Formats: sequence, structure tokens, C-alpha cells
Amino acid sequence: MRFRSLALFALTAGLAVLAGDFPSLDAQEKAIKKGKKKVDPPATTTPADPATKPEVKPVAPPVIHVATPKTKDPAALAKVIDAEITRKIATAKLTASAQSSDEEFLRRVSLDITGVIPSAERAKAFIDDKSPDKRTKLIDELLADPRFGRRMADIWTAKLFPKDSGNRFVLKDPLYKWLEEEFNKNPGWDTFTTRLVSATGTVAENGAVTYFLANRSVDKLTDTTAQHFLGIQLQCAQCHNHPFTTWKQTEYWGMAAFYGKVKADNPKNANKGGDNTTIGVTEGPRQTKQKDFFPESAKTVPAKFLGGPEPSLGAAEPYRPALAKWMTSPSNAFFAKSMVNRTWAHLFGRGFVNPVDDMLPENDPTHPDLMAALAHHVSTTGEFDLKYLIKAICLSDAYQRTSKPTADNKNDKALYSHVAVKVLSPEQLFDSLAQVTGNRASDARVKGAANPKGVRLGARDQFVNFFLAGADSTSALDYEAGIPQALRLMNSPIANNPAAVRAVAGTTSKPEEAIERIYLAALSRRPTADETKSLTDYVTRVGAQTAYGDILWAVLNSSEFTLVK
Amino acid sequence: MFSMKLQEKTRRDMLKLTAAGVFAPALSGWLPALAKAAPTGGKGKAKSCILLWMDGGPSHKDTWDLKPESKGAGEFKPAKTVSAGVEISEHLPKIAQVMNHGLVIRGVSSPEGAHARAKYYGHTGFREGQGGVVYPSLGAIVSQEAGKSDSPMPNFVAVGGRSYGSGFLGPKHQPLLITDPNRGVEDLKSSVTAAQLGNRVGLLEQMDKAFHREYGADSITDHKTTYERAVKLMQSKEAKAFDIAGDETKSKYGSGRFAEGVCMARRLVEVGVPFVEVTLGGWDTHQDNFTRVKNLSGQVDSAVSALVNDLKDKGLLDSTLIVWMGEFGRTPNINNRGANPGRDHYPRAWSIAMFGGGLKGGQVFGKTDKEGASPAEKPVAVQDFLATVCELMGIDHTKKNETPTGRPIQIVEKPKPFTKEVV
Repeated sequence: MRFRSLALFALTAGLAVLAGDFPSLDAQEKAIKKGKKKVDPPATTTPADPATKPEVKPVAPPVIHVATPKTKDPAALAKVIDAEITRKIATAKLTASAQSSDEEFLRRVSLDITGVIPSAERAKAFIDDKSPDKRTKLIDELLADPRFGRRMADIWTAKLFPKDSGNRFVLKDPLYKWLEEEFNKNPGWDTFTTRLVSATGTVAENGAVTYFLANRSVDKLTDTTAQHFLGIQLQCAQCHNHPFTTWKQTEYWGMAAFYGKVKADNPKNANKGGDNTTIGVTEGPRQTKQKDFFPESAKTVPAKFLGGPEPSLGAAEPYRPALAKWMTSPSNAFFAKSMVNRTWAHLFGRGFVNPVDDMLPENDPTHPDLMAALAHHVSTTGEFDLKYLIKAICLSDAYQRTSKPTADNKNDKALYSHVAVKVLSPEQLFDSLAQVTGNRASDARVKGAANPKGVRLGARDQFVNFFLAGADSTSALDYEAGIPQALRLMNSPIANNPAAVRAVAGTTSKPEEAIERIYLAALSRRPTADETKSLTDYVTRVGAQTAYGDILWAVLNSSEFTLVK
Repeated sequence: MFSMKLQEKTRRDMLKLTAAGVFAPALSGWLPALAKAAPTGGKGKAKSCILLWMDGGPSHKDTWDLKPESKGAGEFKPAKTVSAGVEISEHLPKIAQVMNHGLVIRGVSSPEGAHARAKYYGHTGFREGQGGVVYPSLGAIVSQEAGKSDSPMPNFVAVGGRSYGSGFLGPKHQPLLITDPNRGVEDLKSSVTAAQLGNRVGLLEQMDKAFHREYGADSITDHKTTYERAVKLMQSKEAKAFDIAGDETKSKYGSGRFAEGVCMARRLVEVGVPFVEVTLGGWDTHQDNFTRVKNLSGQVDSAVSALVNDLKDKGLLDSTLIVWMGEFGRTPNINNRGANPGRDHYPRAWSIAMFGGGLKGGQVFGKTDKEGASPAEKPVAVQDFLATVCELMGIDHTKKNETPTGRPIQIVEKPKPFTKEVV
């Protein structure tokens, strides 16, 4: 794996530039560019001044400017969020958009939490429900739904099992299932992370070990752990004015050393009948002898926490639990912030810091005080409870605003004056289409898992791969599907299924009833008066069954279906 | 290797071009009027490229770089071509007749010897996982740099096999994949009549218009643009290029999927598609090398010679660059595995052949040593080759494209193109 040495060289080169008194011309240009790229409104941010030296911020415990609740109280935490968000909107002299309609909120929160649109019946019941706390009850219902685990497993499998020719024989399903169960159990983000980072056993015993098999070398593990749980991209240092001037090459390998005693079995060729459920991970008393677990450039240095101390570890003691303990401590400067930033981005389409896994001090958060306060609260009183954090955010006015912009806030992307329109992920799209059309193929993953080789893909995986088109994940805010994907949605049986049309439209002689059913099933709302009129006219013109098929086709292919408002 | 979540940076620059004016004259006119093809920029003569990907790693010593005096010479004999001094395998007799349009590059080197990583390298010029970025393949680069944004036809089509995709350039530059040339584009035909499709699209327009009026998000415009292009493709006369059933020249290309794919590639180039990749698998000849290479050579011989002749007849050979390559070559020595020995992976020295595209034909560029084991003269790295292809197509390979996190990546890193020596 010689290319790794290149990445490391770049890392060191980047640091060398910053170690000097003046940033290089190149670094200055990048700083200018970065300043220009910021989309924050001018009233709230100071553009980076290219003439000054990039500020070096020490890693210190955050000062908390915003008071947080003393108990686990989601409604109170939501108020903390709104106070800060509203203050920033006011400072920027923007108006905030109104509260979302029930229809808008229902579809948004269902997709965000369970990854699928509600059924027509659920939509109707929620819209017609007159109780004042129905939104709170809905959030609780969705967080208790096992599909929450599936939604989170979709997101995290892509992160923890990147596409790589080196892991093509490693089974993905055990990791997926482990994630699904863990997220549903919601043990606390600290416990979850500890279980993952220190996982031991065979694939059959503990699906979490798949993380090590899918990233089978100390440098990949170091990079992915830092990226996903600490929000730091170690491998990208050449692109940034790295603020940690004390970071040296040895520090990188100091972190990598925590993985040095891991013995991760090499996956077998499934095409030749290899059984990859019996392979797994152990952590021995000394550095693993598996040569391919270390890149050529690897340095052997004592284990040392990033920007922190060298722990005293017994020689025979496993190292990973010590790493996990340091990472998940409430005093860790990165861990809780990364959890908060990711969760925020999950629900709003963007984080306080973007990209979410690049939380360098120079990459200013849009709401530093709020992020620090949420991180502090969630890591102490909040017990790293992910569902609690999600609930608090979903209860906030900020999350519950409409995504319809006002005349003055339509260009705001970072202050949450209105909610961003998101794009359905391939998994959300598949599951939502299945929800409407009654296609049971969404269960195919379970069937696929029964196959020990795990090479046969179910309908859901095939659909998802087709829409991912080679990527690990798609953008939350940009519509990226291409012509082949549009052709599939238009012309394949997905949106051309007469049985589904009959099931959705029902057996009514009144066109307006059928139209309403189609709208409730696919868009979680009733049609407007204008829509009912124009579509009723259409039914009269072309005949009921043809028209219902056409209307369902159009709705399933519409931007309103594929986007989340 | 790393999942680069696409967050801050959008791909709007390019989309803006396609979306320009979309909502200005309202959402009308999806159905009629094909967009006029925009001219492509650049100074290179080639407007299209057909990449014939020899999957598995073809044996250079049994195709373009025969070494009859060497230890592992093998069973095949070199044969003369119409170009004086250029000799290739005896099993490529029809190609020998069009060698005056061809260039053989001997002494190409790659650092990768495992299939998956070597294919990635050959398609992108970067090593898999390098810097945590997924790099675009040549087809995606051409799509981005020379593609037409307002054409109903896709800018990158891949026939057979799996192709390397667009990496950080995003899904707009993913290839349209044809698994079976006889079946054409999947999902291209509507399941309803043209009139009913018109009705449906009318309904869809109405819905999208109302949604955009209220919410105004860019993603709504992008969605509309994609659908508009897809509908145009369904209705365009150019899309007939995907239908090879009635092609009168088809039989000249030989039989089988590769022949059909190459025939389709020619039809696509005729309607202006800038990049088509056609895969021929089976070159991983660890065993039974000679029988298999002979058979594969026959397929290549018919298809490539027919392609060159047809393009020439249609006046398109100068503007179409044909590239024949795989992920590496095969060992100069013959292994002694089993009854029918073969050759193993060999990235240190191998061959690429090119035709048309403004090249000076009848040439050999570079040379390997007497065993065909190492480059001896004018060694060519994969980057040098990719940069040369870019130059032949008028693409500036020193241009830097940004990854979603804003990192500039040069199209080809550290290139030493040899264009001047071959045109």
C-alpha cells in the first residue's frame, strides 16, 4: 500500500508550512478562497482577512456561554436552541419563516427519523388529530419505531464500510444488523462508540468487528475513527492551515498505535466458497504480526492521544479500550461536538461546521456557542443519549419552520430562518416508493442475509446501488440523480403498476376521493382545491383508471415526492 | 476508501448551464424541439473517444509486442502490416491492413499489479484511496470537459462490464450503462403511448411548477433539468443510435457482445457522443493463454478493423480516437501451471494501441527490451498516456477540478504527454 506514504508525506508537508512564522503564498490563497466561500451573512461573520496570519487556537475546554437544562428535558433544550438561533436571525436582520404545516412537518420528521414517508392512513390521522401535543407524540412514536435503526444503519454502514476493492469479500450485513440493533437500543453514543472501537470476536458473534475487516490497516482505522467520531480529517491536512502546530508525524502514528495490536483476519474469496462469518478480530498482547495491517510508511511509536497525553498502558493490556475511554470522555474536545454537529446535519442538511467531518478550529461554526452548549449538555446531563438529542432538535421552532422562504430570507442557508429542502437518499426513496406501491421487496435485505456468502443483492440494495452510481452516499441538499435514474423511475414497473394504482386509488366512483387518496399516500397531504379541480377535469377527459395511473405516475416522479420540504 | 460526504460544495456551476432559462420561459416545451448540440472547445482534432477496455490484462507479447527471439516467446508469430516496420501478432490480420491509421505504444508501465486497483489506476491515473478521494475515470473527465450539456444524448456511455465512474465529479458524469447491446438502454421506452406520456409529462410539469413557485429550491430546478433530458432522450432521433438491430454493417464487426458493443459505439459517435467505453473480458490468461488470446484476438481483429474502416468511410476517423488497452500486460515468461500454461499479471511493461483521432498512423512509440520485460526506449507512464489522450481531445489536463470539500485536483498529475511525437 505504497500510496499511503504519499498521504503521510502530504500531511507532514502541510504541517511544515504551518510551523513557519508566515503562511506560504499558497496557504494565503487558500485562506482567501475559504473566506469567499463562506455563505454566512455578513452581519454575523467576519470574513477571513488574508493579510493576517491564521489564528492558532489552542485546544482548551470550551467555555460555555449558553446555559443548558439541569435535567434531561427535551422541551427545555429546544428552547435553548431557539434562543440562540433566533438571536442570530435577528442580528442578521432576517425574518424567520412561519411554522410548518402539519403535513410538511409529518413528512419531514418521518423521513428524517424512520427514513420513510408515513402511510396514507397515518397521514390522515395526524392531519385530522386536534390534540395540541400531537407533534411531540409523533416524534416519540417515530423514535420508538424500529425503522429508526434501519435509517441510522443505512447512514452509518456507508461511513464505516466504504467502497474499496480491499473489502469486497467482507460481509456487510452483519455490520448493518449490528448498527440497526444498537441504534434501536440507543445505549448512549459513548457506549456505542466504545463497543465499535474495541470490538472483538468473530463476525457471527459480533457484527461490529466488520468495521475492522472493512478498514483493514492501522492508518485506515485511524483516519476513519477520527473522521466519523471526532470530526477530524487527518488525511486531508495538505488542504488546510492546520492549527495544531504541535502535531507531528509521530502524533499521527501515536494514534495509530492504539490499533497496532489488533489482529483482523483477511477476508476469504467468497467466489471460491470462503466463509466470512467465522473470521474476526482479536487484540493480542503485542503488535500484530500481520504485515499488511501496516502501511510501508508506518512508524512505531508509543500510543499517544491526539493533542493529549501518552497513557501508561500495561504491555499485555489491550489498547483499544483506552482509546475508546479517551474518545468518549465528556472532556474530550472533539467527541461530543462531532456527535452534535452530525446530528444537526442529519436533521437540517448542514452542520454548524461543514463539512461535518472537518471540524478544524479554523473552520468556524455558524453557531459556536450553541454547538458548545449542546455538546456540553449532551455529554454530561444528556448522557450521550442520541434519541434525546434528536427529540430536542425536532421539538425546536428552528426544525419546525416551513421550508417556504420569505422575500428577505430566501438566500439564507446557514441561519435556519427557513428549513432547507432536502433530497431523499436512495434508501429513503426506495422505502417510500415501496410504502406507496405496496412493494414488499424492501424486506429483501433480510433474505439476502440468509445467504452465507452474502453476494446476492436484494431489490433494495440493487436500487440503492443504481442510485448511488458508485458513490458511498449522496448529497443531502443537492439533487444528483442522472438520466438513467430518471428513466428508471419513469419507465420501469415501479411507477407503472396497475395493481398499485388500484390499491392506492381505491374503489370509489368519485374522482376527488381517489385523487385525495393518491395525494395522501404519496405526498402525505390532501390536494389543494386547484389541484383537485384540475385533476378532476383530467379524470373526466381521459377516463378514471387511465387518469389515476397517470396521476400516480406524475406524483411519484415529481420533485415534491423526491424532495423533503 | 473514505466516504466523502458531499456537503458544502455543490455541483451547481455546471448544472446552471443546463438549467439556464429553464424557469424563465416557464416549464413548457419538454416534448418538442431537440436541443442543438453545442460546439466542444479545444484544439485537439478528436471530438469523440472510443475506449476498448481489455479486461483482465492482455498479454502484450502475444498481441502488439511480439518477441520471437525471447525466452518466453510463445506460440504466435509476428506478422507484417501495411505500415513498413510495424509488426503485430499474426492473429490480427485485418488490423494489419489498417495499421496505417494506428499507433502502437510499447513500454507502458503501471505501479499496480492487482486487477481492481490496476483498473482503477488505468481509468483515473490515480491510485485507489490516494488522499481519501474517489477520482473520476477518463470517460467522466471527457464528459465534464468536452461533454454537451444541452444534448439529449448522454456524454459517457459504457457498454458491457463495469466501468469506473465519475468519482468526485458527481453522478451527472456517470456513464449510462448498457449491459446488453441488443437490449439497448434500459428503461428507455415508455410503457405507455406517446400521447399518454405527453399527458403524464404535462401533469408532472404542472406539479413541479407549483412546487417550485412555493419553495424555490435549486434542487427542484435540477430535478426538472434531469427529467427534461431524460424525456428528450426517450424521444430523440439520436437515441436510435442505441438500437443496433437494423444496422447493416453489424456483421462486419463479428459476433458476440463485444462486436455489438463496438458497432453501437460507432453509431453513438456518429450522433456526437463524446465518450464510449466497450469492455471485452477474458484476458486474465493465467492458464491456456494461447488458445484464449487467439480467440480474443479474432474478436478484436474484426471489430477494430470494421470500426476503423467504417469511421473512415463516414469521414469520422480523424475526429474519433480509438484506444485499445487493459489494466496491465502479462509476464514475459510462460508459467508452468497445469497442462495449458499461461502468463501472469505484469504491470512493468505492456502495450496500448490507438487509431484515428488525428494521430500519424503506421507508427510504433517506445520499445521494450528483448524479453518484453522492461521499457527500453521512451517509457510511458499511465499519466503520460492519459494526458496525451486529453491533448488529442483538446482537453487541458493541467486544469484543476475541485472535490466537494474544495480541494483542487489536477486532471492528470505529473503528466509528460507525448502528443507532439505522434501527430
